[in-house]
Amino acid sequence: MSAQRPLELILSRNLLSSLSTPGLLVGEGGKLLFFNEAAGAFLGRSFEDATGLDADQWTAEFGPLNPSGDPIPYEDIPATEALRQRVPFHGQFAINASGQHRPIEVTAIPIVAPDESTAAMVLFWPTDGKPIHAHPAHLADHLDDNGGTV
Amino acid sequence: MKLKVWGARGSIPAPGPETMIYGGNTSCIEVTLSDDSKLILDAGTGIRQLGMAMTAADQPVNILLTHLHMDHIQGFMFFGPVFSPESEITVWGPASPEASLRDRIARYISAPLAPVEVRELPSLLTFHEADALEWNIGPARVRAQAVNHRGPTLGYRIEDNGTVLTYIPDHEPGLGAPLASVEDEWISGFDLARDATLLVHDCQYTDTEYQNHLGWGHCPVSDALDFVRRTNPERVLLFHHDPLHSDDFLDGLGNDASTRWQELGGAADEILMAKERLELDLDQLPAPQAVGAAAGNGQRPRSRA
Ligand SMILES: [Zn+2]
Ligand SMILES: [Zn+2]
Repeated sequence: MSAQRPLELILSRNLLSSLSTPGLLVGEGGKLLFFNEAAGAFLGRSFEDATGLDADQWTAEFGPLNPSGDPIPYEDIPATEALRQRVPFHGQFAINASGQHRPIEVTAIPIVAPDESTAAMVLFWPTDGKPIHAHPAHLADHLDDNGGTV
Repeated sequence: MKLKVWGARGSIPAPGPETMIYGGNTSCIEVTLSDDSKLILDAGTGIRQLGMAMTAADQPVNILLTHLHMDHIQGFMFFGPVFSPESEITVWGPASPEASLRDRIARYISAPLAPVEVRELPSLLTFHEADALEWNIGPARVRAQAVNHRGPTLGYRIEDNGTVLTYIPDHEPGLGAPLASVEDEWISGFDLARDATLLVHDCQYTDTEYQNHLGWGHCPVSDALDFVRRTNPERVLLFHHDPLHSDDFLDGLGNDASTRWQELGGAADEILMAKERLELDLDQLPAPQAVGAAAGNGQRPRSRA
């Protein structure tokens, strides 16, 4: 049998892919399982580029960052322990998004599958009032759809 | 492994002159295993007549419920063997955080909806929650897994002597993300259905009807065929017919599904329509006819798109 994802995760992914709020799914050990187009636009990376990043890879690239601007190791992120205890988390961080430091708020919800594996659905949004720019890949799709004009 | 359909209808019984061929009874399938013992898939109204056809030799009885929507349990209270003290009946079904399987079924088999209570039924009744479980029933290995419907719902994969029957009667795997856009591991029901000898699967709606039923928990023809294409069973029995669909309509829907399957490169007889009293011997299914001309390469339409 292949390792089909538990239904809870499949539904979470399908929900996230329909949302305009940036969101991602983190699996066991912090592996990045999925992020939606809004997250891609905000972070400056499409999911296809970032599929399967390990916890230290995505924390090195995106953060969250400590006050001196360095990435916080995955195990030290306050959300990590809360989710491991199967408790939702809400907090504020700074992250690296599209090459800029941006303040965000984060809500994370644990997803516990029947096999007891724990993942998390994470929603986040910038709090500095600056807009999220469309990711170039999405813009290209849009241009194709419209014969080259937006 | 043998199968007999006692109810192929979804949602609500649909008896009448316009449904004589496909039948009006709701979901119920009798499975005969290699040692002649029986499994029953769902307890829709079809189970009433199955109960009338059963004998003492069919004991003990195992009923696998996919979920507790009425069209899958309504026949339970009219299933003769539950009223016999000689019967030993085990009911398997989905767990819910809210109440036990027994208590949830008892909401239907209790006043004012029913004249009896579960505790009054004279048979020896046992209830088991079957989420994410694999277990043996007689010679069969049974696997249950949650699938995308409305509320806690299971699909089943039953393996006996190398033959595999997969039963997912209520399923909307394409909700939220087109099947063509996601990898196998992100498709609800994928592991249950993969390479089965026979897949019994939801195909309640035409593609046009589905536009007004998004999120209702059922499949349009195109998603059913996409799911088949991805999971590669040898044969498919399209199931859970909409109560509004007459025999003529279902003939048309079946022809359409079959034509589209051939256009994808499949063989016409790989796609079957479930009809009440249809019997199939899964170990004796004839080899599929030549594949459709459209693909032209002799390959079955297995594709990740
Ligand atoms: Zn149903
Ligand atoms: Zn249902």
